Amino acid sequence: MKNGKKLWQIFGPVLIAIVAALAIFLIPWQGLTPSKHAVEKAAVSMSTNVYRGEKIKDTAIKENYVPFIGSSELSRIDPLHPSVLARKYDRNYQTLLLGGPGSQSLNHFFMLQEMKSEIRNKKVVFIISPQWFTKGGQRPDAFGYYYSPLQAIDWILSANDTLANRYAARRLLQMPSGQASTTINTALEKIAAGEKLSGFERFWLKRRQQVLRNEDVFFSSFHLDNNLQRIINAGKKLPATDNQQQLYTLATKLGQQETSNNEFGIKNSFYNQRLRGKAVKNLKNSQGWIDYRKSPEYADFQLVLQQLAAEHVDVQFVLPPINQKWINYTGLSLPMWRQTTAKIKQQLTSQGFNRIIDLSEDGDQSYYMEDTIHLGWRGWLRMDESVKPFLTKHQTTPTYKINNYYFTKAWQQSLK
Amino acid sequence: MINLQPYSSPSYFIFLLLGLLPIIIGLYNGKRLKIYETIFSLVFLVLTFGGDHWEQGVTLIGYIIYQLVLTMVYANYRHKTGKANKTSAFVIAVVLAIIPLAIVKATPAFSHGLKIGFLGISYLTFKTVQVIMEMRDGTIKNLDWKMYLHFLLFFPTISSGPIDRYRRFKDDYENLPDRDAYINDLSKAVHYLFQGFLYKYILGYIFGTLLLPQVAHLAMQQRSAFSGLGLSWPLLGYMYVYSMYLFFDFAGYSVFAIGISYFMGIRTPQNFNRPFQAHNIKDFWNRWHMTLSFWFRDFIFMRFTFWIMKKRWIKNRVRISQLAYLVNFLVMGFWHGLTWYYIVYGLFHAAAIIINDIWLRFKKKHQDKIPSNKFTEYLSIFITFNVICFSFLIFSGFLNKLWFR
Repeated sequence: MKNGKKLWQIFGPVLIAIVAALAIFLIPWQGLTPSKHAVEKAAVSMSTNVYRGEKIKDTAIKENYVPFIGSSELSRIDPLHPSVLARKYDRNYQTLLLGGPGSQSLNHFFMLQEMKSEIRNKKVVFIISPQWFTKGGQRPDAFGYYYSPLQAIDWILSANDTLANRYAARRLLQMPSGQASTTINTALEKIAAGEKLSGFERFWLKRRQQVLRNEDVFFSSFHLDNNLQRIINAGKKLPATDNQQQLYTLATKLGQQETSNNEFGIKNSFYNQRLRGKAVKNLKNSQGWIDYRKSPEYADFQLVLQQLAAEHVDVQFVLPPINQKWINYTGLSLPMWRQTTAKIKQQLTSQGFNRIIDLSEDGDQSYYMEDTIHLGWRGWLRMDESVKPFLTKHQTTPTYKINNYYFTKAWQQSLK
Repeated sequence: MINLQPYSSPSYFIFLLLGLLPIIIGLYNGKRLKIYETIFSLVFLVLTFGGDHWEQGVTLIGYIIYQLVLTMVYANYRHKTGKANKTSAFVIAVVLAIIPLAIVKATPAFSHGLKIGFLGISYLTFKTVQVIMEMRDGTIKNLDWKMYLHFLLFFPTISSGPIDRYRRFKDDYENLPDRDAYINDLSKAVHYLFQGFLYKYILGYIFGTLLLPQVAHLAMQQRSAFSGLGLSWPLLGYMYVYSMYLFFDFAGYSVFAIGISYFMGIRTPQNFNRPFQAHNIKDFWNRWHMTLSFWFRDFIFMRFTFWIMKKRWIKNRVRISQLAYLVNFLVMGFWHGLTWYYIVYGLFHAAAIIINDIWLRFKKKHQDKIPSNKFTEYLSIFITFNVICFSFLIFSGFLNKLWFR
């Protein structure tokens, strides 16, 4: 065999593979849209590839899905969960669940980046967890779990030199995720310093964006958690008509049935798995030191607020309670809790975010919480009482007035 | 400043192959472009140890100068003065060669945040110690400092091996393959690269990035099981998933390094040979991280055995080899790092190989009574595999997290 032929046999397949890979990843495939069923499944899957992706979310919002942004409470699926109600009664909106355990404001800010044009002038439900507002704020490992280079690039390429963007760049640089890629890292340093990106950097980031978008189109509908079936099954327990009184009766009954093995009104399965025995004893009087009043999270939260305001999104905020019996047991400070919710509400209302479902004082209501800090049965229903009219009826357009003071250290640490 | 971690991203391979192109064309035409190759290697070393890893780069330079001076002084002593070969001089040279590594390994245990050391310091130390030992034996006679630098700083293997030997490397560097042999090398090189892609980027990713965090999470949830021992099915899952991840990630890394070496006309030795098909622990160490275990065999196990025999401290040969195994694996444990789980890992393997040794001798004596067929063969593979996976569970440090944090 001639040497040339041998070389071709060695390198030919490699060259063909490289060309094919470039073709697949650099040609825009955005025309491919996920199927209706895929969107249906993805909207309630709470999978990270949906949260970190673009296409599925954007397709869903263009239909009648409304983003329900939050964290771990979204995964407490019982028959009164917002997704179950919306689906069972075929309401004019369906839920797009965005968030999971550990996703906080900073993740949500980046998550919003790619859907800015989709959510413009639309409605969003946002469940705040006061538990986000810890002394250290966002935990880097949890942030990394929800971080999406694609969304980061979307944001970098559209970021003007504003205080908010400089702050966001600085925050991302503090996370290991922001340092994982040299190109992104350099771009972040420039944005944080208020400098412009070079033409070459933009070119490179755009190619990277294209590759990541294609990955998103190809792969993000794989591997979805199948919550849809759970939601359909849960719906079978609901009364045939969307009647509040009947729903409350059911919620009370379910709550009674499922909280029989402990004194806290916590769901049996949760208690068995996470608390029974030594764990619960160790937690007695263990939370007196916790303080949610001073936290970098307040500034991260401001990032989300300014983004929602910029897109004129009509947001319904929800402030959930903590199980009162649990507060008593663990010794969490009630004055601290009240000051925290007051501080969050001040940040909201002073900037025109007036739609707040404040449940923070309702921790003593029975069958309101599924466990220690997450809404369940009657709690979900109480939320639905306000969310349903908000989403099904026409609302007056809110006007927002963003105040950059809320980015400052002074506000993060403020006790008033 | 850009920083590229070896074999970590597609762009690394693109830069690498573009840079290699002149070297490949040169070798194809029977020429080694020494100057270009040196510059190219330096550029890649700067990319690895430069940028925000510059502290590593500075330490690397200091380390290399130190080792070069030390080795050349010892080489001078061995050859200029004729037959000088005092044990004390040899011991001093080895200790001095190991000291930097010992300091780096010991510091995390005593102080946090102190940043010394660099990626690959252990692998460089293996090379320097090996050269000193071979100079003592007289198997390396003329040490050329330029060749020695090439050997130490050969960038495909600098960060994580495989651990080459000086004389082998020098042979390959000086004697170029003829065209047919080089074409054959190229075909192997491409094969290794793609094997590496499969191992590291697909299988390593599935086990390490997709599965491992999930089983770890599940196992952590069961940490209170068995009154705090945390023994659970997910923990067993973690053991197997981690073992697979460790193998595919590391074996992938090794074949990348070997593949790139082949492009450069250096036939870096293999590091793995289907380790999970080993029939017993001894067989396993002939298949797993081979360049390391052969290094330990030649420079710890054998030396220790000869030394004991020479001094006649122990007469029984079986006892000697058992003690040598213990020392060998204990040193390996300490080399991995000063944490309880690396040391227990070493002790565990020492115990396993000693038991294995006893069994092999027992089997030989009773050959007629112990059956040997396909079934016993598969059984031995199965037992060996599980013993190894258990040792990797210790090695992973996950038990430390599960029990103490």
